[in-house]
Amino acid sequence: MPSPDASLWRTLRPWLALLGQRRGRLFLGALLMALTLVSAIGLLALSGWFITATALTGLLLAAGIAATLEVYVPGGGIRFFAVTRTVSRYVERLYNHDTVLRLLADLRSRLFAVLSGLDAHALSRRRASDWLNRLTADIDTLDSLYLRLLAPALVALLAILGLAAFLALWSPRVGVAIGALLLLGWLWLTVGQARLGMATSHRQVGDLERLRGRLIEQVQGLAELEAYGSLADHRARLAAIETRLYRDQRRLGRRVALGNALASLIVGLAGLLALWLAAEAWSAGLLSGPLTVMMPLAVLAISEALAPLPAAFTWLGATRGAAERLNALEAQQPCRATADSPARLPVGALSVTLTDVTLTHADALVPALAEVGLGLTPGERLALCGASGAGKSSVAGLLTRQLRPEAGEVRLGGVALEAWPESALTSRVALLTQQTDLFDDTLAANLRLGDLEAGESRLWQVLAMVELADWAGALPRGLDTRVGEGGRRLSGGQARRLALARLLLREPDLVVLDEPFAGLDVETAARLAARLDAWLAGRTVIYLVHQLGDAIDPPGIDRCLTLRGGRLCTHGQDVSG
Amino acid sequence: MRGITEPMDAPDAATGELTARRYLRDLAAGERRRLRLAVLAGTSAGLVTIAQLVLLARFIGRLLVDGASLAELAPLLAGMLTMLALRALALYLQETLAQAASLRIRRRVRRTLLDHLARLGPVKLTSRHSASLASQLVEQVEALDGYFARFQPQLRLAVLVPLPVVLAVLWLDWLAAIFLLISAPLIPLFMALVGMGAQRLNQEQFAAVARLSGHFIDRVRGITTLQLFGHTAQATREVHAAADDYRQRSMRTLRLAFLSSAVLEFFASVAIAVVAIYVGFGLLGYIEYGPADELTLFSGLLVLLLAPEFFQPLRSLSQHYHDRAAALGAAEGLVALLNEAPDAGRLSGGAVPAPSRDVLVELEAASVEHVGRGRVLGPVDLTLAAGDVVAVTGPSGVGKSTLLQLLAGFIAPASGSIRVAEGLSLAWMDQRPLLIQGSLADNLRLAAPDTNEAEMCRALARAGLGELLAALPHGLETRLGERGVGLSGGQAQRLALARVFLSRAPLVLLDEPTASLDAETEGYLIEALQALADEGRALVIATHHPALMALAKRRLSLEAQATVQEASHDALA
Repeated sequence: MPSPDASLWRTLRPWLALLGQRRGRLFLGALLMALTLVSAIGLLALSGWFITATALTGLLLAAGIAATLEVYVPGGGIRFFAVTRTVSRYVERLYNHDTVLRLLADLRSRLFAVLSGLDAHALSRRRASDWLNRLTADIDTLDSLYLRLLAPALVALLAILGLAAFLALWSPRVGVAIGALLLLGWLWLTVGQARLGMATSHRQVGDLERLRGRLIEQVQGLAELEAYGSLADHRARLAAIETRLYRDQRRLGRRVALGNALASLIVGLAGLLALWLAAEAWSAGLLSGPLTVMMPLAVLAISEALAPLPAAFTWLGATRGAAERLNALEAQQPCRATADSPARLPVGALSVTLTDVTLTHADALVPALAEVGLGLTPGERLALCGASGAGKSSVAGLLTRQLRPEAGEVRLGGVALEAWPESALTSRVALLTQQTDLFDDTLAANLRLGDLEAGESRLWQVLAMVELADWAGALPRGLDTRVGEGGRRLSGGQARRLALARLLLREPDLVVLDEPFAGLDVETAARLAARLDAWLAGRTVIYLVHQLGDAIDPPGIDRCLTLRGGRLCTHGQDVSG
Repeated sequence: MRGITEPMDAPDAATGELTARRYLRDLAAGERRRLRLAVLAGTSAGLVTIAQLVLLARFIGRLLVDGASLAELAPLLAGMLTMLALRALALYLQETLAQAASLRIRRRVRRTLLDHLARLGPVKLTSRHSASLASQLVEQVEALDGYFARFQPQLRLAVLVPLPVVLAVLWLDWLAAIFLLISAPLIPLFMALVGMGAQRLNQEQFAAVARLSGHFIDRVRGITTLQLFGHTAQATREVHAAADDYRQRSMRTLRLAFLSSAVLEFFASVAIAVVAIYVGFGLLGYIEYGPADELTLFSGLLVLLLAPEFFQPLRSLSQHYHDRAAALGAAEGLVALLNEAPDAGRLSGGAVPAPSRDVLVELEAASVEHVGRGRVLGPVDLTLAAGDVVAVTGPSGVGKSTLLQLLAGFIAPASGSIRVAEGLSLAWMDQRPLLIQGSLADNLRLAAPDTNEAEMCRALARAGLGELLAALPHGLETRLGERGVGLSGGQAQRLALARVFLSRAPLVLLDEPTASLDAETEGYLIEALQALADEGRALVIATHHPALMALAKRRLSLEAQATVQEASHDALA
């Protein structure tokens, strides 16, 4: 079994490496923190020194003994520290927040890159917005890795070493003793507190998730729970999770409080130790009076550096949990093997061959596709029928390489699908998914997903093909109209047609259309079918439909096959097209 | 939305409508004792600190001025050690007491919300997104923590602790006390400044974060499409650009927001510097007026040591200010939920016992209205007796589901009456069966907590899941993953059917049970419903499906304009 520290290190390493890309900024931010701290220590220590020095000089003067004290340098020093403490604190907060926001941008784009490498099955389970909320919460947890954990711990450590060295200048004994005591304290407040809270705070992440899961069950299933009278039982399950969650939080809270109390105790003890040792040195004539006072005051001022440590480190387990979940996501990324030598791809409409393809989703009890064999000649149009869950979307996922078969082979244009370069595949195979995904952007930007270079006239042309040109033309902002989150500002039928228009901007050689006319009225569908027919000429086409003959069938079907429970039915009839 | 900018005595206080501020106040009042004890502990810590500093200054004065030996000073050191321990103890108590209060408050809030959701019922909840409701019950409740555990006690301490500090300084040197007191009237100003800064920061930050998350979630949701269009690299750059744009905009706000706390920090630093220089020059005899010539090392040093303690509680408060803003934001969401009134008649015993023993449910001229949509059903007359099989038909949106919800008691009639047999239990099945995280058996026990293994196996077999059960190595103990991953839509539907078999409820309500089912499952379902009818259970089925309509002995046809026609099966045939 690996040591817990090693596994913690492994978990956090990728994220620390990401932080490392901005090490210049992190360094400067920590330096500013240190400057603030030095100013705070300097202000109190120098003030103590100054007051003692003036008091002792005043006593000598009162006794009639000639004495002088240079007051302008320390006075200036005190004013200097008072100003630098304020200014560096302000600049530090600003600078470090800027850094954290930059890190947030890095984290988000990195995670997005990870997500965009996931296959369709891994993604389909992760579309629920509760999962997305959790994901963003995890990122937010990690972006404070620097500001809450790394920087304060590092700055406190440096401050302790610096303080010890400074005290050692005047009295090595005080320096060593204080350094040793504070270092021990630092170790406890970081490593010790982290160990104390690790398991419990790590469990928090999972328990909050379970609580959320049970709550969603209760909200979604309230009808059944109420009807069957089992709401109380469900509430009991929920309460059990909450009880554990809060027992752990109470435990963690006590440990944080313990850490905070210890931090105040350690600094206090160090201050008293410094006082006692300095007093001894003073008694022995080794140290001046003002320096004797300066030492404990300098030590007391370091409490600011230790104060943030206990809470941050006791909860380290939660950060670890967030990192683990994000790491697990990255681990799911299938290695996208690229072909050794780029295969020679045929031009024009593509043939399609599926040979004995079996596909089982990770958590499914039964395969989604079982030994499916299927062939299309270039330019052929096939209608693949079946109820939802019969395996149609799995076929679409296979052809676009979003899913990989566990057995059997898929060939496009005679070339094994694995040998296709990514760019060629995305440009030559087009899929209209059952779910319409539009982005919170303008009409034009949503359309240009199909062709980045498309000019305005081209956009109007495809809008006209799906009969949205008049509607878009009447909008006050035309193509610059924003469609809202997920295209919410459009009706279902408009969104569907916009998605189709986006596809029409492309020039694919294989087109897979999942319920192309879903949500459209019969007349519109009929007119669209005619235009679609022309655009589809010279391309291989697969329609995925619930069943034929209900409303308007997609145009030009040559053949029809039916999927049932992941198997092709043998009685697939021919339809003369 | 009820804003957090609203004055404390909003007119809502009179109408009884809950506001976020009042809600937080009420919650704090419920844990008054613990919170007060926490403040007491915090105040004690402050007093012990003053005592500690007195001893420290005394120690130094005796050592340097009086030339006392270390042995003579040992009792002072012992005193300081005691004070240190007491201070640590007081701080520990303050934190744990406030935390205990926060935990109890959060637990109570969640329980209240869950009770409220149960009262609202399944129908009212459909208008809300389940994930966002769950996030309210998890995140927003947890977001109250900092407010009660830290901000509330610190708010009192920021007033209570500086007071003895300034009194001590006054006793030592009234001019130094005046330096501190000059800043005292400024303290409310600081607080307002800090508060305004933090509040504004938080509001803008909340909004901007929400926008940014929205952008991110929008792109993730459509990631399959981005993959299909080969657009992921570009989208990744866009995600980065959006986050960077957010950074630039929020830095503009932060520059100003941080300034207010910098002002506080500045006064705290300057006060120390001014006190140090005043005391120093006084000790040298340079200051000839006021109490300065009476200063000693002891009093001068103590004044210096007390000066930072005067500002410390306020600085802590400014650090906890974002807890308040976060709690107010969360409380607003929770209050909005709590202010949604449940149906008056629901669960309140509005239903009258049925007249005769054979009648399960009787509707008499019952109608249903939804806010903003007016009448959505009825008036309907319907009497259901044991063994009745009723198909409810009609175009979509005509109120078929509403009728089932009315029969189930999920909503109360706006007019007319509903009479229900005493102790009537019912079974419910709609298109989205509930799958809970747990074993197959846990999922079945939802319908019948005291059922046994044999009954569960039989119910599964009758629902057409016998084959699947046999194929599972762990049988009934097979874990269904998160949100029932592992079952296809059809299998989940059959599981719901197995629950109906297990329940033995005399009345079974089915809302479009065959929608989105494959032909095989559909066949099973129809056979199963026939079997249920043969058992003598009453079935009410909202459906378009001809085979299900044929199953029914009676047919209730709902039409637009809320007219209802009931026909016996014979008359239809």
